[in-house]
Amino acid sequence: MSQPQRLVLLLGLLALAGCATTTPTNIAGSGTQLETRQIQTREYDTLNKAMTMRSVIATLQDLGFTIDQADAELGTVTATRLDEYTMRMTVTVVQKDGERISVRANARIGENAVLDAATYQDFFVVLDKAMFLTMHKVD
Amino acid sequence: MRRAAYSLLLVASLYGCATTAIPESALRLPESTLDIRSIQTRTLEASSELNILTATIAVLQDMEFNIDRIEKPLGVITASKVSDADDKGQKTGLFFLDVLCAMGGGGGCDASSTAKDDQHITLTMVVLPNQARAGEYKVRITIQRVIYDKLDRILVLERIDTAETYQAIFDNLRKSLFIQEGTS
Repeated sequence: MSQPQRLVLLLGLLALAGCATTTPTNIAGSGTQLETRQIQTREYDTLNKAMTMRSVIATLQDLGFTIDQADAELGTVTATRLDEYTMRMTVTVVQKDGERISVRANARIGENAVLDAATYQDFFVVLDKAMFLTMHKVD
Repeated sequence: MRRAAYSLLLVASLYGCATTAIPESALRLPESTLDIRSIQTRTLEASSELNILTATIAVLQDMEFNIDRIEKPLGVITASKVSDADDKGQKTGLFFLDVLCAMGGGGGCDASSTAKDDQHITLTMVVLPNQARAGEYKVRITIQRVIYDKLDRILVLERIDTAETYQAIFDNLRKSLFIQEGTS
């Protein structure tokens, strides 16, 4: 086998192999837990979990999502947006140490998890406004 | 030529690791937010949030939706239905296209299979009590749908933004609420 032929074979095998691994892929996610949690989470100085959840729902509706399900007791809201792409979000509202409310958002677009900080920052900018309006009884 | 083949293989080998880029404005409010919010929202007066929810369920049943989930403490109702999305004009056009194709002696004349078939509609209604004024509620409805063709391929994914659709639902809701308030 000549040198160029060997190179073609090698590249061909590489193309077929792609990023294959022997374990089932994409089940546990990327696994960078702490960093991901930080960019997906905001804390608010309020004790009103129900109003926080209503603000989350209003924010999702403003962003064009339809609410799939919401659970006041567990503090979760799941919503879907059908657009040029399908985006799915789950937002969790948890009361922390009886003093603050923590809001965590997870987003997926199609089969990809959204992991960039800027996208979550955009979400929390909208939520911040909704929280302000709700807490100050404006709107 | 050989160089082009190597480049192609190299690109193919890298492609295996590619991920779809996240759209930059995925979670930014579009400029049309206020317009769409006003199309989808009405302020209703009722003696209780429960009455609005009950009246809504009745309207959704009138519209032949199935109720998927209700979360009473948050005022959220999610409903859905599968209905016919046939567009008769489009279907006729595609039928003639198939006829012309067959007359021309060409094979694989199945343009009709790309006609609209089912639409899966999801509707969410959220009731938000006005904190400043008792007995006043903001009701917001959002609707989206997926349209499939005859071969179950997705043709359209969209949010419904037409004002007339929401106006018709709110008109029915007001009537339903009037009846509900009278009987409760």
